[in-house]
Amino acid sequence: MGMDRRTFVKRTCMGTAGLLVGNVPTLASDEVVLPKAPPIDVHEAPLSKRSTLGMPGLFPGRVVEVADARAIAGNRVSQPIVHDMLERGLKELAGEKSAEAAYAKFIDPKDVVGIKINPSGAPACCSSPELVREIIFGLRSMGVPAKNIVVYDRFGYEMDLGSYQTLLPPGIRMVGVQDGTLDASGYDANVYCQVDFFGEWETRSYMASIVANEVDKIINVPTLKDHSASGVTGCLKNVGYGTFNNVARSHQAPYSFTDPLIGVMCSVEPLRSKVVLNIMDGMRMVWHGGPLTQNQDFIYTLGVLLVSTDPVAMDTIELEAIEKKRREEGAPSVWERNPKSITTDGRAFFKDASKNLYYRQPSHIAAAGKMGLGVWDLKQIDHRKLRIS
Amino acid sequence: MDKGNNIAVGEMPTITENDWVTLLKDNARTGGQPAPALPAPGKTRWQMRVGSSIRSAPVLRGETLYVTTMGGLLHAIHTDNGRQKWKFKAGGAVHSTPALSGDLVLFGCDDGKVYAVNGESGAKVWEAATDGEVWASPVVREGAAFFGSSDGYMYSVEASTGKKRWKQGLGGRIISTAYAAEKRNYVGCGDGHVHCLDAATGKILWSTLTGNGIDSSPAMVGDTLVIGSEDFFVYALDANNGAMRWKYETGLGVSSSPAVLGEVAVIGSKDGYLYALEIGTGKLRWKVRAGEVITAPPVFGDSLIYLQSWGLLALSAENGNVVWRAGLGGAVQGAPVIAGRTLYLGSNSGDVYALE
Repeated sequence: MGMDRRTFVKRTCMGTAGLLVGNVPTLASDEVVLPKAPPIDVHEAPLSKRSTLGMPGLFPGRVVEVADARAIAGNRVSQPIVHDMLERGLKELAGEKSAEAAYAKFIDPKDVVGIKINPSGAPACCSSPELVREIIFGLRSMGVPAKNIVVYDRFGYEMDLGSYQTLLPPGIRMVGVQDGTLDASGYDANVYCQVDFFGEWETRSYMASIVANEVDKIINVPTLKDHSASGVTGCLKNVGYGTFNNVARSHQAPYSFTDPLIGVMCSVEPLRSKVVLNIMDGMRMVWHGGPLTQNQDFIYTLGVLLVSTDPVAMDTIELEAIEKKRREEGAPSVWERNPKSITTDGRAFFKDASKNLYYRQPSHIAAAGKMGLGVWDLKQIDHRKLRIS
Repeated sequence: MDKGNNIAVGEMPTITENDWVTLLKDNARTGGQPAPALPAPGKTRWQMRVGSSIRSAPVLRGETLYVTTMGGLLHAIHTDNGRQKWKFKAGGAVHSTPALSGDLVLFGCDDGKVYAVNGESGAKVWEAATDGEVWASPVVREGAAFFGSSDGYMYSVEASTGKKRWKQGLGGRIISTAYAAEKRNYVGCGDGHVHCLDAATGKILWSTLTGNGIDSSPAMVGDTLVIGSEDFFVYALDANNGAMRWKYETGLGVSSSPAVLGEVAVIGSKDGYLYALEIGTGKLRWKVRAGEVITAPPVFGDSLIYLQSWGLLALSAENGNVVWRAGLGGAVQGAPVIAGRTLYLGSNSGDVYALE
C-alpha cells in the first residue's frame, strides 16, 4: 500500500497527570513531577468516513456490569454462567431482546471479525477461553462463518500458554502477530506512530497487518488488571499496545509515557473505526503485579463481565474497581508518586503491593477521553449494574 | 506394557535404539530413561541460531538432529559441529515435534499439512492435507501415521506414501499427540474427551469426558492411560474401556505431557509444580515447584528428570530436588534429547544447543 493512501498527522499530546483534573488526584507537594511527553507523529490510513461504530461507538458512556457469584469457583470459569452473563450484558447494552439482535448492531454477518484477546499473564489471568468461546458461538449464531473469525494477539507464545489453540472451537483462525521481540513481518510498514521517548534506536511502532488490512471489525476482550506502567490494562491498552509493535519502549524505569501513547495508538485509523465492542473479562481481578503476575495473592476472583462500546468509560470503571480493591488490601493507590514506592527489583514488585517499577500512568484513560475516544468523567458514565446471582 | 515403539522389524532399518524418534523418545513416552544421569553441563559444545522461535522438541537419528521452527523450517543439523546439513521450508509456522519413520521425517504444519521429508536429502516425499493447523506430532506404527488436526479430525495415512487410510471427527481441536498401541490409538481432544480409536478403521471405541479441553499427550503403562486436562486434573484411565481409575488435582490446567518410569508418572502443571504420581494408585510421591508455569513435558534420564521451563532444570527422580539448572533453553513445549553425554535442546529464542 503506497504512501499516497496515507495521511500524516501530528497528534498533540494531552498532557500528563499533573495537568489533568476530574477523576485524577492532585499531586502532593513532596511527590515527583513527571516529565512531559514529546509529540507523537501518526501515519495512518485515511478513511472516506470514520465509522460511527468505532470508538467510542454506539453507546458512549454506557457500561453494563454483570455479576454472578457462580461464575468462577475453584479458580475455574463456568461457561454456562458466562453464557447467561454475556447475553444479559449485550441485551442491556444494546436495548435488544436477544443477544443475536445485540450483536447485529455492531457486526454484519459478512464481516471478518477479529477477537482481540489478552493472553498476557496466562495462565493465571488472561481472557478466559470460556468467554472467548461464548463470543465465538454468539457470532456464529448471528451468521458469521467460522473462517471469518480470527482470534489474535501480538505474541503467539502467550496464546500457547493460555491453551487457546486447544480450547477454542475448530474452524476459526488463531493468529500470533509476531514470533519474537524483533519480528516485524506481521506489521504494516505504512501505518505507524513515531516518537522518541528515551533516545531509543527504533522510534516507530507499526500497526499489525491483521488490523490494518484483514479484519473488518474488532471485538476487544481485555482483562481487569493492574499494570506496573500504565496503572491499569483494560480496553485501551489491550487494543492499543496489543495492535502496535515496539511499545515497551514507552516505559523506562521509573518513567512511563503510556500516557499519552496508549490513547494516541487507539485513535489511529483504521484501528479506531474497527473496534466496535468491548467485553471485559472480570472473572479475575489482578490488583497488583500486573500484567504478568502469577502470584495468586494478588488475584481476586471477582466474577464480573463488563460490556461497552466505550473503552474509556469501561477503563474508568475498571480503574475505580482496582483502586477500591487496593484500598481494601492496604496497598497504595496506582496514582502513587512517592519515590520511595519505586523499586528496581522485579522480585520485590511481584511480592510487595507497596512497590512499583514505574510511576504508573492511569491518566492515560482521561487523556484518551480528551482525544474523543470515550467518556472519562465518572459522573457522566451510565454504569448499569446487573446481578444474576 | 505396550512399548508403543515405532521401531518395527523390517520397516525402519535405519533407526536404532539410540535414536530419539518422536516426542519423549518413543511412543511409550519413556523419555529416554536408560540415558545416563548427566552432571550439570560444563560447556556449550555448539549453538545454532535458526532465526525464529522453537515451540517443539528436537528428534535425533544417528548423527543428525531434526528441529522444526516457527519460521516454517525443518532443520537437519550435524550433531558433531552444529552445522546445518539441509533445511526444508514448509508452508507455515511449525509447532509440531517431528517424528522419524524409516528414512522419512514427518511433521505437521500450521498450513494444515503433514509433510514427509527424506531425512538424508531434505527432499519432500509426500504431503497430506487437513483443514486446520497440525500442531500434534505424527505417530507411526505398523506402517501407518496417525495425527490430529485443529479441524477436529484424527487422520491416519500410510507412512511411506501419505495415502489416506481414514479420518475420524472428534468434536474439538486436536493438539494432543496420540499414543499408538498395537491396535488402538489414544488421544486427547479440545472438547475435553479422551478418545480411544481403532487403529485400523478410526472407529471410536470409547470416549471419556474430562472437565475441559485436553492438549496433553497420553502415556500408557500396562493398561493404564495417563493424561492431563485443562480442568486442572491428571487422569488415569483403564485403556480397555475408558473407566477412570483415579484423578489427581493440581492448581491449574495441565497441558504438559506425562513421562513414565516404572510405576511413576511425572507431569507438570501450569501452577508451576512438577508432580510425581504413582500410576497404580494416583498417590502423590512428591511435587516440587519447578517454574512459574510448566507446559513442557519432562524427560527421564536415569535418576534425573530434565525439564524445560524458563530455563533447563535437572531434578532428582527420587524426590524432585533440583540437582542443577541452566539459564538457557526457555521453552513452551520443548523437551531435550539425551544422547550419550550430550543434551540437545531448542528454545523460544530460536537457539539450538548441544550441552555437555
